[in-house]
Amino acid sequence: MSWLPCGVYHEHYKQDHAWWQTTFVKGKMMALAVVVLLAFPYMDLLAPDLGPYLLSVAIMLMYTIMAAAGVQLLIGYCGQVTLGHAAFVAVGAYTSCLVLMHGPALAAMGNDPSPVVRVLAGIFAGIMKAGLLYPAAIVLAAIVAGLWCVLFGLPSAKVKGFYLIMTTIAAQWITVEFFITQFVSQIGGRQQAFTVMPEHFSIGPFTIDSDKKIYYLGVALILIVTLAMANLLRSKPGRAWIAIRDNDIAAEAMGVNIVAYKLLAFFVAGAMGGVAGVFWLNFNSIISPEHFQWFWSLWWVGVILIGGVGSIHGTIFGSMFMVLVMEGLKAVVVPLGGAFPELLDRFLFIKEALFGLAIALFLIYEPNGIAYRWWQLKNYFNLWPFSY
Amino acid sequence: MEIFFNLLISGIMVGSVYALVALGWVLIYKCSGVLNLAMGELTLIGAYVCLTLYGWFARAIPQPTTAFIFALVGTLVIGAVLGLLTERVFLRKMIGEPVLSVIMVTVGLSFFFKGTVEFIWGTDTRVFTPEVFSKKPIPIWASIYVDSVYLWSFIAALVLLVIFVSFFKYTRWGLAMQATADDEMAALSLGVSAKFVYALAWAIAFMAAGVGGTLLGNVNGINISVGYLGLLVLPAVVLGGLNSVPGAIVGGIIIGVLQNMADGYLSQFTPGGVKEVAPLAFMVILLLFKPYGLWGWERIERV
Repeated sequence: MSWLPCGVYHEHYKQDHAWWQTTFVKGKMMALAVVVLLAFPYMDLLAPDLGPYLLSVAIMLMYTIMAAAGVQLLIGYCGQVTLGHAAFVAVGAYTSCLVLMHGPALAAMGNDPSPVVRVLAGIFAGIMKAGLLYPAAIVLAAIVAGLWCVLFGLPSAKVKGFYLIMTTIAAQWITVEFFITQFVSQIGGRQQAFTVMPEHFSIGPFTIDSDKKIYYLGVALILIVTLAMANLLRSKPGRAWIAIRDNDIAAEAMGVNIVAYKLLAFFVAGAMGGVAGVFWLNFNSIISPEHFQWFWSLWWVGVILIGGVGSIHGTIFGSMFMVLVMEGLKAVVVPLGGAFPELLDRFLFIKEALFGLAIALFLIYEPNGIAYRWWQLKNYFNLWPFSY
Repeated sequence: MEIFFNLLISGIMVGSVYALVALGWVLIYKCSGVLNLAMGELTLIGAYVCLTLYGWFARAIPQPTTAFIFALVGTLVIGAVLGLLTERVFLRKMIGEPVLSVIMVTVGLSFFFKGTVEFIWGTDTRVFTPEVFSKKPIPIWASIYVDSVYLWSFIAALVLLVIFVSFFKYTRWGLAMQATADDEMAALSLGVSAKFVYALAWAIAFMAAGVGGTLLGNVNGINISVGYLGLLVLPAVVLGGLNSVPGAIVGGIIIGVLQNMADGYLSQFTPGGVKEVAPLAFMVILLLFKPYGLWGWERIERV
């Protein structure tokens, strides 16, 4: 019933593919989930001055996890390297922002001469009436970001490796620096930043306006993203992706439709990025093209490289490592700022340089990432003290 | 028509600088198979080092041109040292690792270099003072003018291109590099040291990028956006074919012309940003139709 390594045997493939192999593990993970996911925002009961800060770090962490999940899917499981994921996150954020800002106006256009607008207005009016504009915005953002990602994934039908990397870099610059900065930001006549009032983020009667509520929204979104990813990976598309990653020519010879599955991977990854973008909009309530610069695309690739390529919990470990180390760095640098004020001015640059160094050193000395170490650690303690 | 020729000429001049940087990129790729995304930061380092050296030399030497030449030589030396160091510390350990890992090491390096440069020199735009090349337009043909700073950087880029290409073709070290690029095993068995060749490639890339950055910095002043050159190099090398030296030169010049043309003719239709995006958009289209560029090797894959 409980311990697996010896004594409990799988009798069905179903058991082999189960998330939780034994009831004990299931109970343990459930308890952990409750503590980490539900009780965490009540940290401020224990530490009143530290709680809100920890909560904001946790929210940033969740954003990183969601954005990096799509990168992990593309790079770690489908082998399609993307160095432009910030573009898709940006598309998601801007889509949801536009829906939230202009949805009510669209819903009011019920007697427009054009029938298309009337139908759209009817749909939006229905959504508004149900109070579901925000969830609809999330779904729409995911779909639009996914399609946008597919658009730039199209060259993957023909090219791969380094050439594909270049198209994703181009995606970043074309989308964020050109399309969003020059065209989308002009909508409404106010340039650069879009602001969304907190009352727009409401699901039915609940308005997501405080950090705690944003945290719970993040928990829900992360659960959806992670469960979707885990389930996709243990079903047919996941097996096809892994086959493509390991050897695309062999996969094609085995009958995998590689173009379709690559594009599906791009869609799912883009959709995850879109969800991350919505989350960013919610906790920041302001977006501008500067939030989605190329730096972030590379940051997320760095996250999965440090966490471990090709592992879902690697994404989470990597995000934790990056976010916590950067916060720790802040904690070290800020007190020093009194003595060396230029350190504070140039903190961003120190952060950048250290991030680069961390990626390079991790790749050289720990190419399997943190997830591999975790696996080793777990194996060591698995039958401790009588390990094999 | 006049506008067209003006755009063409200045495009060729800027393109020659791109060609120089692209040459450095292709050398690294050809010799060691490393796809270098840190090229822009190498240009940045070169530009700032040259600026600093120029500031020092200009105080001692009254003539700006002489001081600049000394500063340029100093930049080449420092670039070579940094190139050797980078190869030894970071890239040598990555020989034989998967392509993505190597690319991401160069991405990490690019952040490291960029952060360091920003930390040392700040983010304000700096110019070469006193001015090295005057900004006075020089007539070339009828009513076609070009800024003399463009002309001089064109000439400097051409001279360096000739030097690098003849180094590659006629010297012992250059031949060793060619041999390694062609067939590493055969080169090793004939006593060519691959490690030496890799180090040399990085040193040359650092030098070429440094000079490219310096020349561009003379045109517009130096700030972080000089590093954007590192992205422009990618369309150039894709157009030429990743492992072709003449391809890099032709590709660099074509991208320079294309960028200028797009800026001149298309920017009236958009609010802005065409100049930055046109080469990349061109690259995506090119990848769809001719992914191996003009003279690149088409790789045949087997399971």
